[in-house]
Amino acid sequence: MSAREEILRAVRAARPAATPHPDVRAFARELPDAADDLAARFSAAASAAGARILEGRRSDVARLIAGAYPEARVVVSAVAGLAGTAPLGDVPRTLAGIDLFVCEARFGVAENGAVWIPASGAGARAALFLAPHEVVVLEREAMAANLHEACARLDLAGESFGAFVAGPSKTADIEQALVIGAHGPKTLTLILVDG
Amino acid sequence: MAGPAVAAGPADVAGGQPRAVALFVPCFVDQLYPGAAIAALQVLERLGCRVTVPAGAACCGQPPANAGFEREGARALRTFVEAFSGGERIVVLSGSCAGHVREHAPALGEAGAAVGQAAVEFCAFLYDELGVAAVAGLGATFPFRIGVHIGCHTLRRLGLARASELQLPAFDKVRALLGTVAGLSFAEAARPDECCGFGGSFAVTEPAVSAKLGRDRLRAYRAAGAQAIVSTDLSCLLHLDGVARRAGAPLPMLHVAQVLAGDAVAAGLRVDGRAVAPPATSP
Amino acid sequence: MSRSLPTVGPGASAVPVDHAAAAARFTADEARTDWHDGALWHVRRNRDRAAAAVPEWEALRELASAIKEHTLARLDEYLVEFEANALAHGVRVHWARDAAEHNAIVAGILEAAGARRLVKSKSMLTEECGLNPYLEARGVEVVDTDLGERIVQLRQEPPSHIVMPAIHLKKEEIGTLFHERLGTPAGLSDPTALTAAARADLRARFLAADAALTGVNFAVAETGGVVVCTNEGNADLGTALASVHIASLGIEKVVPTLDDLGVFLRLLARSGTGQPLTVYTSHVQAPRAGQALHFVLVDNGRSRQLARAGFWRSLKCIRCGACLNTCPVFRRSGGHSYGASLAGPIGSVLTPGFDLERYATLPFASTLCGSCTAVCPVKVDLDAQLYRWRQQVTAAGLAGRKKTLLARVAGGVLGRPRLFALAGALARALLRRLPRPLLRAGAGPWGAARELPRAPAQSFRSWYRDRQRRQGRTS
Repeated sequence: MSAREEILRAVRAARPAATPHPDVRAFARELPDAADDLAARFSAAASAAGARILEGRRSDVARLIAGAYPEARVVVSAVAGLAGTAPLGDVPRTLAGIDLFVCEARFGVAENGAVWIPASGAGARAALFLAPHEVVVLEREAMAANLHEACARLDLAGESFGAFVAGPSKTADIEQALVIGAHGPKTLTLILVDG
Repeated sequence: MAGPAVAAGPADVAGGQPRAVALFVPCFVDQLYPGAAIAALQVLERLGCRVTVPAGAACCGQPPANAGFEREGARALRTFVEAFSGGERIVVLSGSCAGHVREHAPALGEAGAAVGQAAVEFCAFLYDELGVAAVAGLGATFPFRIGVHIGCHTLRRLGLARASELQLPAFDKVRALLGTVAGLSFAEAARPDECCGFGGSFAVTEPAVSAKLGRDRLRAYRAAGAQAIVSTDLSCLLHLDGVARRAGAPLPMLHVAQVLAGDAVAAGLRVDGRAVAPPATSP
Repeated sequence: MSRSLPTVGPGASAVPVDHAAAAARFTADEARTDWHDGALWHVRRNRDRAAAAVPEWEALRELASAIKEHTLARLDEYLVEFEANALAHGVRVHWARDAAEHNAIVAGILEAAGARRLVKSKSMLTEECGLNPYLEARGVEVVDTDLGERIVQLRQEPPSHIVMPAIHLKKEEIGTLFHERLGTPAGLSDPTALTAAARADLRARFLAADAALTGVNFAVAETGGVVVCTNEGNADLGTALASVHIASLGIEKVVPTLDDLGVFLRLLARSGTGQPLTVYTSHVQAPRAGQALHFVLVDNGRSRQLARAGFWRSLKCIRCGACLNTCPVFRRSGGHSYGASLAGPIGSVLTPGFDLERYATLPFASTLCGSCTAVCPVKVDLDAQLYRWRQQVTAAGLAGRKKTLLARVAGGVLGRPRLFALAGALARALLRRLPRPLLRAGAGPWGAARELPRAPAQSFRSWYRDRQRRQGRTS
C-alpha cells in the first residue's frame, strides 16, 4: 500500500462523528454594516501597518511617485500605462538592482489595510519582495469591508500566486522591538486613485 | 473605587419558608479554615436558609483526580454523592470543588447526575438564588481596600465573572456581593485574573514556578494598594498566605463569606494595625 | 551548524523531559524570568486589544472551531479534493507517513534537482521531523530565513516559541552572536541595525539558493493552493527566486474553501501577535514558469491523534501561539523547558501522543487555570485535554511510585470521612506542636518557598457537632 493509501485509510478509520459545514457567507451577511467610508477605514488600518497613503487621480500617479521617491533611479512598473525606467525582465535575479517597484492591486480590505495583488498584477512575483521600496496603486472604490468579502471576491483562476500585502515588511524578533524592513520592502506607499 | 454596577440578582427569599440547603465544606477547609466555614454557615442561616451539613463526606475527590488519579478520587466522589443525595441545593465552599462535582459526578450514574446538577459554589448561590439585595441586608462592614481573587476554576469554569480573555460584556458576581459591604473598596491588580500558582498538585510538583506565580500575584495586589485579599477559593489563599508569610510580608486573607459575616470584626482582625469597626446592626 | 536533536521522529532523544527541573533552573534567574514573562504578557495584551476591535470575536471563534471540527470529521475527503486541485495546477504532491519519510522525500526532491543550498521559512512541522540535521548530514546547506529562526540556528538551539523563536534572547546576546557569526561591530545591540545586518546576509543567500522550503498555514481544498503567512516576506522571497519550491504541511492544515480561509485569517494574526493580519498572506497555487512546486503532506501521528476520542480536537490548532503567550507557566519557564518542538499548552496536548514516557511531565506543567482555552481562536479544550493526559500518564504507570502510593493513600483517606477526620486532627496536632525547623524540613517541596498553614485547634466538623449538641439536635 502506498503512503497515500495508508494515510487516507488511517484517517478514514479515525474520523470523529460528522458535523455540518457552517455557512460562512450567512455569518458574514449578518455582520452589521459599518456606516463609515471604507476608504477612510482602509487608510487608517494601512497607516497603522506602516504604509504611507497618498491620494490623487490616476493621471497624478507618476508625479506622486516622483515626489515620494525622488532618489529612485531604477524604477520597474507593472502598471499598464505607467512607464518605469527599466523593464520588468524575465529573470528574477535582474531585479536585485532595482530601487522601486510599482504595481496595482485589485482591491483593498478595509478591516486590515491589506491589498490583494495577484501574480498577473505583479508581473514578476519576485519584484513584489525583492524591491527595497514599493508603490501600490489602488482604486478608492475597490474596497472589501472585511476578509469575508475579500475571500468571496478572490479570483485565483489562472493565477499561480497572489498575496494580501498589509504594509512594508517588518519583524519584532529581537526583543519585541518593531523593525520596519525585514526581508521584503522597507517602505510601502499606497496611492488611492479615483477611477 | 467601585467595581461594575451592583446588579440585583433574582428576588430574595420570600418571607416564610426557609430554603433547605446542604453545605459542603471541602476537606482542607474543614481542617485548616474552620472560621471560613462557620462564616459561610452563619451567612446562609441569616439569609433564611435551613442548612444541613451531612457528615458522610469529607472530600469531593478533586485533589487525586487533578493529579491524574481519577479512579482514586472517584471513591471520595462516590461517597460525596451518597452523602448529598438528599435532593436539596448543595452549596460548596470552594469553586474548584464545585466545578469538579458538577463535571465529574454525572459519570457516576443517575444519583451522580442529580448531585452534579444540585451542586453550586457559595458565591454563585448567593448571587443567583438569594440575590444581592438580600446579601446587602446583612449589613457587613469592611472599610478597607481589597484585592479580589477569584480562583481560576471558579472564574473560567463556573463563570462567576467575565474572564479577561473573553470579548463579552463585563460582569462580576463576586464584586457585586462584596459591593454591598460598607466601606469596602477594590484594588485593581494589573493583570486582573492571572493564576496564583497553586494548581493543586502543581504546588508540590513544580514548587519553583508555583511560588514564583504566588509572589507575582502578591506583588500585583500590593502594587494596587490592597490591604487584604478576599477570595472565593481558600486553596488559593492557602498558597498565597504561605508565600506571603515566608517572604515576611503577610497580608490578611479571607474568604468572601468571612467578609459578609462580619467575621473580620468577631475575629478582631487588624488590617494595617487598625481593628475593623463593628457593623451598624449586630448579627 | 546542525541544531540540537529533533524532538520526535528519527534521531530523537529518549531521555524523559523533566519540565519541573528545567523550569526551576529557568526561574532561578528571577530578573530574567520577569523579563521573559513581561515580554510575552505584552503580546497577550496586544491580542486582547486586537480581539476587542472585532465585536463578533467570540462568534468568530465558534465559527472557526465548527469549521475545523467539520473538516477533521471528513479529512480524507478534503485531502483528496486538495490533492486533485493541486495536481491539476501542475504541483507535485507527495505523502509521508512519518517524519523519516518526510525527510527522505525532501532530500530526494533536492537531490533530483541537484540542489545543495536550501532556504527555509518557518515550519514547526520540519522542527518536529528534525529536517535540518537530516539534510545537513546529506550535504545540503540549510539556512533558516525567518529572523528569529536564523538567530537560533546560528546559536545551534531550537526555537523557544512557535511565532517568536528568539523571544528568550536579549538583544545584547543577539548582538554578540551576530558579531561572531556575521561580523557586525562588537557591542552593537540596536535591533534595527542587527536586523539590517541579517537582511543583508540573508539576501545573498536567497539569491544563491537552489531551492526553497516553506511551511504552510492553511491548505485550501477548493483551490488546491497553500497559504503562507509571514511578516518578513522571507517565505515569498525564497519561493519567488528558487527554481524548486517545497511546501511541507501536516494533514490537519486543510480547510475546505476560501470562505473558510477568511475566518481563520481574521483570527490568526490577532491571536498570535495582535496584528489584524500578517504583512504577507500569500496564496501559492501553481509553479512559476520554470519552477518545480512540490507539496509534501505529512501524517506523523496526526491520524493517530484523530483517533483519540479525548484528544482529536487538538488537531484544530492553527499554530497561532496565543496559548503560549497567555500561559502563566510558559511565561515563567520558557519554551526550551518543554523539550519538544511545540511547547506550552498546545505542545503539552500534542506531544505526549508521540511518546508518553518521554513527555509524561508536560501535562503536569500547568495549574489548569484555563486561560489557554479562553484565548484559543479555534476553541481547543486545552485544559480539559491536559487533565485527560494526566489520567493517561498515571494509567500507563508513568506517574512514579511515590506519587502513585501517595495518591492511593490519599484516595483511601479522603473517601472515608471518619478516617479523614482522624488524619486531619493528627496533622493539625503535629503542625501546632512540632518546631518550625523540623516542620520546614519535613514539608518537602511545599516548604521550599512557602510557610505551612497555621493549624486551628478545632476542625469545622468538630465545631458543628458541638453546636448541634448545644442546640439539642442530632447531625
